[in-house]
Amino acid sequence: MDRMSGELPPEIGAAWKALEARTAERAARVDVERVAAGVLDRLRREGAEAPRFRWMSPVALRAAAAVVVLVAAAAVVRLTTGGRESAVRLPVGIPAMDSLSSRQLEAVWEAAGEVSSAADSVVPASLGGSLDDLSEAQLEVLLASLNGAEG
Amino acid sequence: MGVPALSVAADGDLIARYLAGEEAAAAELVRRHAMALARFVAAHGAPDDELEDLTQEALFKAFRALGTFRGGASFRTWLLAIGGNVLKDRRRRWRRHQVVALTPDIRDPSGDPGAQAEAGWTAERLQEGIGKLARLQREVFLMRAQQGLGYEEIAGGLGISEGAARVHYHHAVKRLKAWIA
Repeated sequence: MDRMSGELPPEIGAAWKALEARTAERAARVDVERVAAGVLDRLRREGAEAPRFRWMSPVALRAAAAVVVLVAAAAVVRLTTGGRESAVRLPVGIPAMDSLSSRQLEAVWEAAGEVSSAADSVVPASLGGSLDDLSEAQLEVLLASLNGAEG
Repeated sequence: MGVPALSVAADGDLIARYLAGEEAAAAELVRRHAMALARFVAAHGAPDDELEDLTQEALFKAFRALGTFRGGASFRTWLLAIGGNVLKDRRRRWRRHQVVALTPDIRDPSGDPGAQAEAGWTAERLQEGIGKLARLQREVFLMRAQQGLGYEEIAGGLGISEGAARVHYHHAVKRLKAWIA
């Protein structure tokens, strides 16, 4: 079985063979049928592991993306008006973003690009409609806004 | 065409059949891979009285997480990697005990008492050395030297690059050589 042991240097090759003979002897005492019965019994009792996350459906993904864009727009409005405007309140809650995996967040971000044109009307023309145009400070506000919406 | 008998079905088919609810497919996978897993676990220095339990634990965890198996490596390599995780949790306990008494059981076929003693001593030293390797070095070394896996397969199972697998193997061999010198 130890097909690669031939490539071991002679200093450890002989010791490895002796060790492997002993290892095989010890492993042979394991009762495979008893192991199989034990595994199946535990699987019946404890079942499969719950998935850590589920992929969002495309519709949910677009809805989440739209929310991201709307929150971004609201944040930008607030930033550019120096808070003089009354706060823009969204009629929907933000899903807990920290429950999404990084791949899901990337997907949300990508989808946000697709729906951002629909939100042009709420983003000041001077800043354009794309999230890519936001400065670092604006992105910080956006993140703070997202955190606020989650809280 | 009918469904192939369990004993001749490929691992991938057995996995699919188990996930579809065919329990016997899981039993067949256990029969195929339990012994290799037990050898892998034993070579890590697991005590005799824990071998079966560790083998069962790793298989149980593997089947429980089978939905996450993506086929980046073979089912056996993936299983060995899970075995490595199970072992990690138990190693601390083993360090507190002298787990394997190799010397009395290792016999040189020549019957030469001097050779027997020498073989026993070096094998015991080697077992100690394997136990002292860094975890990835130990797993890569055993996957290659004992299980005969290629670097690409090992890399896929452990989630490391092929180059890293080579480096870990060569480091392990160097350290083992120095250990038993």
